[in-house]
Amino acid sequence: MTDVLRIENLGHSYGKFKVIEDISLSISKGEMSALIGPNGAGKTTFYNAISGHFPPTRGKVFLNGENITGFAAHRVVDKGMCRSFQITNIFAALTVLENVISPLIIQQRKHFKIYGNVFKDKQIIERAMLVLEQIGIADRADQVVANLAYGDKRLVEMAIVLARDPSVVLLDEPTAGMNPEETENMIKLIKKLANNSGTTFFITEHDMKVVFSLAEKIYVLHQGHLLAQGSPGEIRSNEHVKEAYLGRKVHA
Amino acid sequence: MMKLLRHKLFGPTVLAVLLFFAPLIISTYSVMILSEILIMGLMAISFNLLLGYTGLLSFGQGAFFGLGAYCAALMLQAGYQNLFLILLVGMLASLLASLVVGFFSVRLDEIFFAMITLGFGMLFFSIAHNWLDVTGGSDGLPVFVLPSLSLLGNEITFYEPTRMYYLVFGIVLLGLVLLWLIVHSPFGLILKAMRENKQRVSFVGGNVRLLRIVAFAISGAFTGLAGVLFCLFNSMATPEFMHWSFSAKPVIMSIIGGTGVFLGPLFGAGIFFVLEQIIIQYTENWMLFLGIVLVPIVLFFPQGVFGTLRNKIFKQGVK
Repeated sequence: MTDVLRIENLGHSYGKFKVIEDISLSISKGEMSALIGPNGAGKTTFYNAISGHFPPTRGKVFLNGENITGFAAHRVVDKGMCRSFQITNIFAALTVLENVISPLIIQQRKHFKIYGNVFKDKQIIERAMLVLEQIGIADRADQVVANLAYGDKRLVEMAIVLARDPSVVLLDEPTAGMNPEETENMIKLIKKLANNSGTTFFITEHDMKVVFSLAEKIYVLHQGHLLAQGSPGEIRSNEHVKEAYLGRKVHA
Repeated sequence: MMKLLRHKLFGPTVLAVLLFFAPLIISTYSVMILSEILIMGLMAISFNLLLGYTGLLSFGQGAFFGLGAYCAALMLQAGYQNLFLILLVGMLASLLASLVVGFFSVRLDEIFFAMITLGFGMLFFSIAHNWLDVTGGSDGLPVFVLPSLSLLGNEITFYEPTRMYYLVFGIVLLGLVLLWLIVHSPFGLILKAMRENKQRVSFVGGNVRLLRIVAFAISGAFTGLAGVLFCLFNSMATPEFMHWSFSAKPVIMSIIGGTGVFLGPLFGAGIFFVLEQIIIQYTENWMLFLGIVLVPIVLFFPQGVFGTLRNKIFKQGVK
């Protein structure tokens, strides 16, 4: 079984309202996948339900063959799936380096260690600097994150996520709020990371340009249901998708 | 020279030396005030492990302070004379109590956390106040015999205020060194990370609830240590220590001194007591004037007096 992430009949309701329903998909290792859908289609709910933000009402989630349905967020991360958020989710008053060290401390099970200077922990510092170099923000390691430009903050979140060396990375709109140049750089970065590491990326995106330049497989979510799945070419020519979603945008 | 001044241990070392030699210069009365400042400073810094480092406003720290004090008083009344045993038992009792309180409280945030800890504090206060047979009720538990220390064949007693000061100084120094090591440890960095963004901590694999319980227990244990010291200093444990207004003291001291700097709350304690001493010479309504002083401090010293001044002088960021 080569599926790193498999989702079976996933559904979530708020009271009687079914936000997402009967979503099944499987992602193989190294396959760059994207989840698209109009606002309110249930993308973020889907992400939250599989990443431990809240347990899904129905269905199952398997990560590397293991059933992780309903696991709390920190256990999902321990099992190898880490995510970013639509609204940048970082440690604002800490430095870039401290932002990346924090997940590494937890990864190495040193988060209850109440003595010792973490900045002299060679293993952690070297790994942290390596991640920052990969992302391209090593030169800003000592800066307080709150003082960084918006695009750099997004990069810091990327570094936080990658520091845990996850087998699956969920990126919730990685280019949201970015200018064209930053968007371009983010696409390049994600491509580079996907090629160089054993990490499988699964992204949601609003920006169709980003999706079609990145994804090998696209899932289309519409009113809480999986409307279509396939290669970018197949999705482009799918009549249902055009009608429900792309059509309006393409001819706008 | 500037490099030496900027070294992060330079200031604390100078302060420790000054405090060590202070009794040679100042009056006995002032030595007693200074003892009280150190004890309350230890309590405030323990409290600030939660507020300044973890981002939790506890309004029930008086419970653990009082618990430490009652443990000391009960042990002394029962005839236990070993100083270290008393310090240890007081700390352990507070540690256990704060584990229980923490277990129920840390799932809440902000005002809800403040309210539940306040509630637990009132519960402890009621027990201390009403359980006459054990706690002596509102009169409290007096201590008649203080523990002594055997050093190089000499028996050192602590009835004399200057000796009591050095006992307090030694234990508080030890407590602060341990707390300093904790806030600079890997655990300490994760506390700051939780203060900044607890959701992010859980989404990189940290069990926020467990981390917070541990922080709460450590804070409670050192608060209990301060309580033991205060019982020895004061020769008395009273339910007043557990009252919510007593729990407000470390809050006020931390805000005055600055929550973003390790020693900030100690300076806050110093300012608090010095102000009190000055104001009560003129009026009994010292709380009124404390309020008048507190308002401009909150308005013009956003990082506390000590924090703001330090940042102005050294242009250091708050970390």
